[in-house]
Amino acid sequence: MINRRTALKSLALGAASTLAIVGALSSAHAENKTLKIGFVGVTSGPAAAWGTSNVRSMQVRADWINEKGGVKIGDDTYNIELVTFDDQKDPKRAIAGMEKMAQEGIHYVVGPNVDDGAAAVRPVAESKGIIYFPYAFPKALYTPPASNAVLGMVANYQSAPAIYKYLKENKGVKKIAFVAANESDPLSQRDGGVEAAKALGLEIVAQNDTYPNDTRDFTPVMTPIVQQKPDLLVLSGVAPANAPLLIRAARELGYEGLISAETAQDATVLQEGAGELANGFISVGGASTPEIRSAEMEEFIDRYTKKYGEYNDESNTKVYALDYIVETLKANPAAIDNVEEYKKTMDTFSAPNPFVKEGTLKYVGQTSFTQKRQISVPMVVTEFKDGKFETLFVGEVD
Amino acid sequence: MEQVIANGLYLGAQYALIALGLTLIFALMNVLNFAHGQMYVLGGFVTYAIYGQLGLPFPVALAASSITLAVVGALIEKFLFRPVVRRSEREESTMLLAAAVAFFLDAVILLAFGEKQRGVPKIVSGVFVSDGLIMPYDRMVVGIVALAMIAAFVLYMQYSKPGRAMRALAQDRVAAQLMGVKVDRYSMIGFALGALLAGAVGGLLVTITGVNSGIGGPISIKAFLMVMIGGAGVVGGAIAGGFILGMMESVGLTVLREYGDITYLVIFALLMVFLSIRPNGLMGKPWG
Amino acid sequence: MTKKATLAGAFLLVLLIVVPLAIGASGREDLYYTLTSVALLSIISAGVWITFYIGRINIGQGAYALMGGYVSAVLVTAYGVSFWLTLPLAGLFCAVASILIGLPILRLRGVYFAMVTLVLTEVVRLLALALPITNGAKGIVSIPQPGGISLFGITLLPDFATLTNPRLAFYIVSVLLMALCFAGLYRLKNSRIGQLCQSLQQNEELASSIGVNITYLRVLAYAISSFLGGVGGAMFAAISQSIYPSSFTVADSVNFMLNCFLGGLSYVFGPILGTFVLYFGWDVLFQTGEFQLLIFSSILIALMLLLPNGLLSLRFSSKAKGAGR
Repeated sequence: MINRRTALKSLALGAASTLAIVGALSSAHAENKTLKIGFVGVTSGPAAAWGTSNVRSMQVRADWINEKGGVKIGDDTYNIELVTFDDQKDPKRAIAGMEKMAQEGIHYVVGPNVDDGAAAVRPVAESKGIIYFPYAFPKALYTPPASNAVLGMVANYQSAPAIYKYLKENKGVKKIAFVAANESDPLSQRDGGVEAAKALGLEIVAQNDTYPNDTRDFTPVMTPIVQQKPDLLVLSGVAPANAPLLIRAARELGYEGLISAETAQDATVLQEGAGELANGFISVGGASTPEIRSAEMEEFIDRYTKKYGEYNDESNTKVYALDYIVETLKANPAAIDNVEEYKKTMDTFSAPNPFVKEGTLKYVGQTSFTQKRQISVPMVVTEFKDGKFETLFVGEVD
Repeated sequence: MEQVIANGLYLGAQYALIALGLTLIFALMNVLNFAHGQMYVLGGFVTYAIYGQLGLPFPVALAASSITLAVVGALIEKFLFRPVVRRSEREESTMLLAAAVAFFLDAVILLAFGEKQRGVPKIVSGVFVSDGLIMPYDRMVVGIVALAMIAAFVLYMQYSKPGRAMRALAQDRVAAQLMGVKVDRYSMIGFALGALLAGAVGGLLVTITGVNSGIGGPISIKAFLMVMIGGAGVVGGAIAGGFILGMMESVGLTVLREYGDITYLVIFALLMVFLSIRPNGLMGKPWG
Repeated sequence: MTKKATLAGAFLLVLLIVVPLAIGASGREDLYYTLTSVALLSIISAGVWITFYIGRINIGQGAYALMGGYVSAVLVTAYGVSFWLTLPLAGLFCAVASILIGLPILRLRGVYFAMVTLVLTEVVRLLALALPITNGAKGIVSIPQPGGISLFGITLLPDFATLTNPRLAFYIVSVLLMALCFAGLYRLKNSRIGQLCQSLQQNEELASSIGVNITYLRVLAYAISSFLGGVGGAMFAAISQSIYPSSFTVADSVNFMLNCFLGGLSYVFGPILGTFVLYFGWDVLFQTGEFQLLIFSSILIALMLLLPNGLLSLRFSSKAKGAGR
């Protein structure tokens, strides 16, 4: 017993000192200055996929930029260094993460991934002068008096009306049904979807059905919904892990209508989880389909695949945040440690979009938030077909 | 309605199988194994790797899942739980160890298999369709295998020598020891068997629902619920609890759907009321 | 006793004066929030510790923290009540709720009680999603900062919104609350009620047969426990200026319990140390990136193997072997 104890103690000591050495080494860098960009979000637990695709996109992009000799902002050249914090999807941890970012002198942070985290970090971000890019939809985050949050993707209240309209006009959808997980984000998104459907005059046959996010067998959830025979089934705020299971359950119960989601999905996950049953599934992505993406995006996917073994299609959207930060800083070097300068630049900023064949990077959101607090990502509505996404139509947010 | 009952029965069979391993470990060692769900996930990923990635036959993968988890379970018992149980003053302290093991397995699984949801090709394709009932064939196969495994487990506990020894151990640890039952050995076998069940059901269900690295914790909690409904540490209770919860979910989701978000609220509130009336579940022995 | 009191006083002085000075000197301002969290979480965990003290495993403390957070948030935003008044009100609300809930469920023991409280956490989360007063899934956001308190024209507490460093103010308030909570806990443990509670932990039937009113004691302990949960939850709602149904979940409830285990169930100050190690440990390891959880859990397992009775048992281990305690 004594031996094991001493062994364990020395192991712990050894681990601690290794950590200290690693920490000391990583601060020694090349001649370029360092630009630290933060990430606060979830990279472990049931929602690990969301934050992981963020971190990996940022890491691949940062490595790539550094490999090319860094980025020139004003008179200086910077290497990009990422500082990431796993908040375990806990808003209390997210605050600690944002405090850490402030401590590191970071002014630009990607994340958090969910509504409660994004709301909780707001006081810190505003008092410490940090601009953050949440993947959460509540309008209060982006509408004045709030001013430090920039929505990192297309919100479902922006994409849903476009998708439903398209499906109503082109596929004859009349009856629509909603199903959502019983958590804040999905339920808010469902309410947004119901509103959009009402505005279009669609008949809503199911809107109260919910499931716990950790459900594994969705047949009992789907059984009563399928019996309503909707033309379109909307999976509101569905997590990528649950999408194939929901689709499979609905199809196996004999559902023949359309299925759609307003959150980003991953083709491999859909293919493995539902196979050909997922064909025809409609979802929204960024620079997702081969028809619209640029050579640079292809290279990004290659690098990502090489580094992590497998690409994640959620990164089609999540690749953007880091480039927006870097390009905006290039446009106004004074913003590098002054977010007020950044805010000024957002109103007029424009740069070519490297990830699609044609497009510009710019800040949008005037209609939804009365100020430009959203990055412009091409709203590519896709249809899943035999393991790949195909473009249905491309929209834009203003 | 047939559909709702069939859904409930299928769900119940898989729940019961998950709950069995948990209740076995609890009965033998009074350890509430927080890592049960993580063991299930690990079993799922082993089958995913062997059947889904390497393309070997499904039974081989299922066996590999079971054996891997049995070994992992035995090691965890011998090197972690046994020394801690021996030295701790209050037996609840093992809950922290169990939770730490759960975190550890979570971390290992996330690093080894990534964050994505994984799935494997169907073992049987096609769907059975009649007037009132739709059921994919692979669900039927999995449901039947699950029932067979439950039956095999019950028979094993009832008639084999280790099974009898473990039952004696569960009833009265000291008396069993006095009667010559090797407590350490059978605790380890019991823990390994519990882990094996978790691995086997993980491997079995990956063909229907896939697997991802984050679901371990929620699965453990679901399993706790079933065990509590039936009565902790009783094999029959775990089976009953599994079927009751499965049926409640299936019927509740259909009957209460008009009231929307409160379906699960009602299920959980009913559970609390039920446990207040029957503080030891359906057939559990009194605590303490 | 006096020696212990001086020690506790010195510890408090260190927390209130030395720590802020050290933080000021080193510029590590982020530590304010981390330490504030530790203080508040240890108050909430102290509630769990009390239920352990009457022999109940409580995995439902998150429910009361969430409830307390909502009570404070609703009172502040919808009725304009001063935050400082909502703080005790949140605690009282939780205490009353816990009496109603506790009367039936406190008859349960061991894992059954653990499980029913775990279900309670989920029930309260789902209630927060479903009730209109909580604003459902959208949560309550943009809660104003705590206002000032003045008595006869003298400012006792400044308005937090006017402070240059509200983090420091929250830190001081939290440390004071923690001191209050644990001083009370210490008194309680060494009082007659505390000794009676301990008799519950060992044998309820026996205690009951010699005339101890066990129902009353159990409910009282559970109400105090929930009061602490509510106060802690309300503080967190004020710091994050928002509350969501997911602000306290099953994972939090489990963590509160683990804090008590790690610190040691036999020691009043166990929850403080346990919370400090568990919460701070995670934060310190954040630079290890994807290996964070692996390292964190390995250390936990190692600690458990070394000190299965909690960190504080280290202090006594040499004495305990011979004489017991």
